[in-house]
Amino acid sequence: MTKSSPSGYTSLLQSIRAHAPGEHQGADLPLRISQERAEAMLHVVHDLGGQPDGPLDKSLHTPAYWEKCTHSTAECLAWRGVWVAEERRRRENDLGETIYFGTPYYARWLLAATKMLIDKGLITPDELLEKMEEVRHREEGAA
Amino acid sequence: MSKFNVGDRVTIRDLPPLFHTRTQGYTRGRTGVVVALRPEWVIPEDEAWGRYEGRREPFYMVRFNQRDLWPDYGGVAIDTLETEFSERWLEPAANASPAAGNG
Amino acid sequence: MNTSQDHGHDHSHAAIEERDEAIEFTVLETAIRELSIAKGLFSAEDHRRFMEWYDQVGHTGGARVVARAWVDPAFKQRLLADGVAACKELGIDWLQPTGVGTPSDYTYLIVCENTPQIHNVIVCTLCSCYPRPLLGMSPAWYERSNYRRRVVRWPRQVLAEFGTIIPGDVEVRVHDSNQKTRYMVLPMRPAGTEGWSEERLMSIITRDTMIGVALPDIDWTTSSTPSGTGQPA
Repeated sequence: MTKSSPSGYTSLLQSIRAHAPGEHQGADLPLRISQERAEAMLHVVHDLGGQPDGPLDKSLHTPAYWEKCTHSTAECLAWRGVWVAEERRRRENDLGETIYFGTPYYARWLLAATKMLIDKGLITPDELLEKMEEVRHREEGAA
Repeated sequence: MSKFNVGDRVTIRDLPPLFHTRTQGYTRGRTGVVVALRPEWVIPEDEAWGRYEGRREPFYMVRFNQRDLWPDYGGVAIDTLETEFSERWLEPAANASPAAGNG
Repeated sequence: MNTSQDHGHDHSHAAIEERDEAIEFTVLETAIRELSIAKGLFSAEDHRRFMEWYDQVGHTGGARVVARAWVDPAFKQRLLADGVAACKELGIDWLQPTGVGTPSDYTYLIVCENTPQIHNVIVCTLCSCYPRPLLGMSPAWYERSNYRRRVVRWPRQVLAEFGTIIPGDVEVRVHDSNQKTRYMVLPMRPAGTEGWSEERLMSIITRDTMIGVALPDIDWTTSSTPSGTGQPA
């Protein structure tokens, strides 16, 4: 959104700092790590049951068009044998905690699907980036 | 053939968690009762890593007493939780363990 | 897009989110969909069918199943014995839209009957497994972390946050859907609904009653439909 100018880029960096878990940002390849900390950090990301948390936020959400499309795209890829749901869930974990908890629910599906397509050689990263630029110009032209 | 039957007391194996799992951490090492046999499905350990036609195994629904899952459980003694496991995650409960589940 | 000058100072997270919504996900989704279709991984028609399915599923299907189970004991027995087959009787086909079911929702349904002795509630702590063909898309709180973290360990507190107080002599049974089975709660029919049509019964069978975080509330309906005729959900 703001990365086209140098000042925009620095504010993007600031935003990254603001949104990333502070503890991880402050870490710098620790030379030693306690077993307790290792276990906490290697805990499987999605295995949440029993973790303490505050009162529930019962807000409802009307899915955006991209969220509906993401659901359908991920399901079509599975329907046609490119992956299965359990692989999708594993790949959501692979995105890491910052993205897992820090983006909307369907962003996980979308990023997992994208990486899967690249991993399997079904699309190349360069053609994806070209396509994204094309779509971005189309979207901004339409806006 | 299924190794366990409805009514059997089983303990969930406590293997190290890494990367991905369908066996919740809160069930590991805990004892419950088999309440239903489920179909044979491809195990999630294969599906998750791209072996779509992988190993098929019987699945079981296991019921736990909440007080056996959470030492500080604040609800009432009759509260329970049910979830499913493939056969490789279950072992017969040691005889000394207190009975779990109520069914 | 807009930047610099007037936005040189710090913003709180909320302000950032209010100012503009990310276009990034729209761009990425469109890109991988168009590339996938161009390479023949799936067709535009496949995608259209899933989008239509997405718009067509909703908790009305579940409400219809529950209302029928309340008025027809034989149907209820079939529903408890084989949920998918019973759904099909009412036109809810778990094999749609592909002919073999949806990849994420499978075709196994267990209906958990609430009784005077047992109150059921469903969750998926490891992701957000949900009976979508029957209840539609899950509510945001079902997908988000807080519910997944807490309802398996503090179910009575979480239910209380929904205004649902379960007496101490009733067992609360949590179903954590961690494999291919999907669950739906069959709530108890409240007293005072004798003689109601199935359509009117459906008006009190909310999505939350079929997740198990709420109980059918007869007062809610009578106060919000002054005519007393009820409305399809």
